[in-house]
Amino acid sequence: MDYGYINARMRGMKSRLLSHRELDDLIQKPDLESLIADLENSPYRDEVIEARGHLLGILCIEYALRENFTRTFRKIQNFAKQEEAEQYIIIFLHRWDVQNIKTILRGKNIHVTSDEILSCLVPAGEMDEATLKELLKQPDLRAVIDLLATWRIRYAQPLTGAYPEYLKTKDLAVLECALDRYYYTDALDSVRAPGYNNGLIRDFLRLEIDVVNLKTVLRMVRDRVDAEDAKRYLIGGGRQFDERKLGELLTLPSIEDVVKALSSTPYRFLADIPEPALRTQKISIIEKELERFLIKKGVGAFLLDPLSVASVIGYFWAKYNEITNIRIISRCKTADVSPDLLKEELVYV
Amino acid sequence: MEQVKPTRMELMKKKAQIRLAEQGRDLLREKMDALIQEFFKILSSVSDSRDELEQVSKSADLALLIAQATDDPVTLKSAGFATRRSITVGITGKNIMGVPVPVIEKKRVSKTMLERGYGIISTSARIDETAERYEAELDILIKLAETETAMRRLGAEIQMNRRRVNALEQILIPELQSQAKYIKNAIEEREREDLFRLKKVKSILEKKKKKVKAKKMAEKVQGKN
Repeated sequence: MDYGYINARMRGMKSRLLSHRELDDLIQKPDLESLIADLENSPYRDEVIEARGHLLGILCIEYALRENFTRTFRKIQNFAKQEEAEQYIIIFLHRWDVQNIKTILRGKNIHVTSDEILSCLVPAGEMDEATLKELLKQPDLRAVIDLLATWRIRYAQPLTGAYPEYLKTKDLAVLECALDRYYYTDALDSVRAPGYNNGLIRDFLRLEIDVVNLKTVLRMVRDRVDAEDAKRYLIGGGRQFDERKLGELLTLPSIEDVVKALSSTPYRFLADIPEPALRTQKISIIEKELERFLIKKGVGAFLLDPLSVASVIGYFWAKYNEITNIRIISRCKTADVSPDLLKEELVYV
Repeated sequence: MEQVKPTRMELMKKKAQIRLAEQGRDLLREKMDALIQEFFKILSSVSDSRDELEQVSKSADLALLIAQATDDPVTLKSAGFATRRSITVGITGKNIMGVPVPVIEKKRVSKTMLERGYGIISTSARIDETAERYEAELDILIKLAETETAMRRLGAEIQMNRRRVNALEQILIPELQSQAKYIKNAIEEREREDLFRLKKVKSILEKKKKKVKAKKMAEKVQGKN
């Protein structure tokens, strides 16, 4: 199977994504029921019908969106047998594994019931439902990590490494941080081999690392966390910012200064954010812009070499954008948010 | 009217009781005024806190809605596991004009991002802002719990005092006054009766004297004849 075929399939799938007009139509729906009915006439039909059998309202939509997202990527994984394209999907699916392990660790840490933890797990990654349920049966955090190590699941390594520090500090963020760092390091390692496709994936991963690091820096600066402490939460391997540059940003006194310091980087668009938002330290607005930048870059991959992994990357971000938009629309419908306000929140359209 | 002995002793007792009741009523009125003053002081702070709570609650709900919409509720709930902690508050008490009111030791519920327990890398500022706003809401709620309980207790005390003042003013004092009046009337009546009786006796005695005198005069006249 060649990239010509993958590209054709990806572009075909992209054409079935909801257009701006269709999203506007969803916004104009008077209530959630009519929105669900509308989604039943969209590519989400199967998932919505399946969800309707056991869930109602917003839960039905959210379940359908999650299912559709993971099924779509499983489908791509099945036909994109080219090594790099499949690798990108695997990297993406690993996010669910990391998220699931974190949820289990958090739940076990405060002794939440297994049923409650299970309701927050999404078995979309490499770890299936049976594996997750077995992990849930473990009595405590140590046992969960030990079981991961026994099964030789890759995430046991960072957790075992960070466990002594966790024992000292009793701060779960230590384990989570180790997991997140490992995820990106592992993802970069998996596309280390030379080649255009690997380079492209690496580039996007490094861009994502930059955005994640910038978000962390902004939050740290806002909370006036000591620069040395804050460095522990940064991920190495970014495209634009190495540890030294990030360290410099961390020493700045305010968010406005960080935004000013970014004026000579591709993130200069942050300077366009209204002054009051910066002064009130409302990072969510800056974060929104950063995420929009990442999505735009991702969707823009469609413009790169069609006979490469670029179309898979482009489709991933376009689909992510669509799912997020539908979720925002449906959530806002539950709270009777006015269409104008809803459109403001719908930043990714 | 209940049985009262119409004696001077009883009248003095009733008058003393009236004085005591009036003194009590005045004291209760003064207490009520002071309580009302305190009540209004607390009321303004409660109404400010309520307005603040309403605003913070609205913005917290909106932040939650946006976080749920953008970050996926599953991620949000999972982050919630990391931050879930019980809140312990120390409660002592103080007296306002004899009314015991609680004082809640103000431990800030609001935490810094690093204190919340979830990993920084995979969570968003939207989750931070949601947590922040709900923590602020909890801070206001705890403050409000203290002031509202104090206000409710002061209100109950004012109501009770008003009932006491009303009972004194409209039942006890009028009844004591009517009893005193009754005793006074009875004593006066008795005095009048006594006076009348004395006058009557006097007139009888005088009549008797006159009769004796007339008899003696008649005997004297007969003796002369």
